[in-house]
Amino acid sequence: MHLPDGIITAPAIIGGYAAAAGITAFSMYKIKKQHINPRNIIPRAALLTAAFFAASLIHIPIPPVSVHLVLSGLMGVMLGWFSFPAIIVGLLLQAVMFQHGGLTTLGINACIMGVPAILAYYIFYIRKKSGQKKPLTHALLAFGASFIAVVLGALMAALLIIFATPAYLDAAAERNAVIALSIAHLPVAIIEGVFTAIVVLFLLKVKPALLECDGQ
Amino acid sequence: MLSNYRQGWHFLIAAGLIIATIVIVLIIPAGDLAAHGVILEYTQNSSVEITARYDYGEPMSGAQVAVFAPGSPSEPWLTGTCDDSGKFSFVPDTQIPGLWEVQVRQAGHGDIIRIQISEGSAGPSGAGGFTTAQKIIMAAAVIWGLVGTALFFTRRRA
Repeated sequence: MHLPDGIITAPAIIGGYAAAAGITAFSMYKIKKQHINPRNIIPRAALLTAAFFAASLIHIPIPPVSVHLVLSGLMGVMLGWFSFPAIIVGLLLQAVMFQHGGLTTLGINACIMGVPAILAYYIFYIRKKSGQKKPLTHALLAFGASFIAVVLGALMAALLIIFATPAYLDAAAERNAVIALSIAHLPVAIIEGVFTAIVVLFLLKVKPALLECDGQ
Repeated sequence: MLSNYRQGWHFLIAAGLIIATIVIVLIIPAGDLAAHGVILEYTQNSSVEITARYDYGEPMSGAQVAVFAPGSPSEPWLTGTCDDSGKFSFVPDTQIPGLWEVQVRQAGHGDIIRIQISEGSAGPSGAGGFTTAQKIIMAAAVIWGLVGTALFFTRRRA
């Protein structure tokens, strides 16, 4: 899911940066509007960024490719609108330290992982709209939010690879490789869904306030 | 409301998450650490042989290779694919001295290696990538930076 330097065409890179800048600004606006004291969320954001950073170092071989946990769903569920800036920080560190992803593709990667994170936040938010307090509802929504976040991220990455790659590459071979990679993300989506559900159930039991990230 | 948080709890739980992740990283065999990076190596005689593998050791079989001669960064001089053991070799045109770029990619993973070709050269070989120990220290430094940020913001206010 982390697109590296040099494989995406220039217009897509510029578009990715523009979109990431716009979404970051909008995130800040939403955070301000929700009257959150950032000091209350920053510790959580920092720790989840550490988890996000470290998670991508663990690879799971799913032949013929290898994938890793993304944790975009967990970021969204626990951080709300803070997840987008947090993901940018995590991606920057991954790109600079481990060449995982790239600096030119930072904007694109932020969109690939950050937009599904925000979507996951809103899926998990359904629990409030419906007024359900049952653990099962929480667990199912957390699972669904994380599952969809990973699938959506993989889809966005696959579409970008197929439609925004330089013309000299063999498009058919690349497309097959991308399809294999996308299918390999299904088990990741399930693992992350279960993981997020476990975290949510645990927090619901010991400290439900940690599931609130919108100042309401 | 957020104002009546007990920050201690909050911190402990999130810290548990991080520690669990670190433990998982450390129990994974060393060769498996750091997903998805790509390591390119080359040896160079009259021809240049590239070996492309993921940084957990798997060769990038069938990966697409594009070779760029100096001075034409957008038009590949040669394209091809790696064989099953991730190898690809080509004979550069020594009439075009300078930094040749070889790009290897597969399904959105890839890297670029730059090879100095001088006229009639028989150059060295080269490789990239960090050792496992370096990676662990780098990851630990970053994680501590983030945990430190969290600690800073959860400190008791006067």
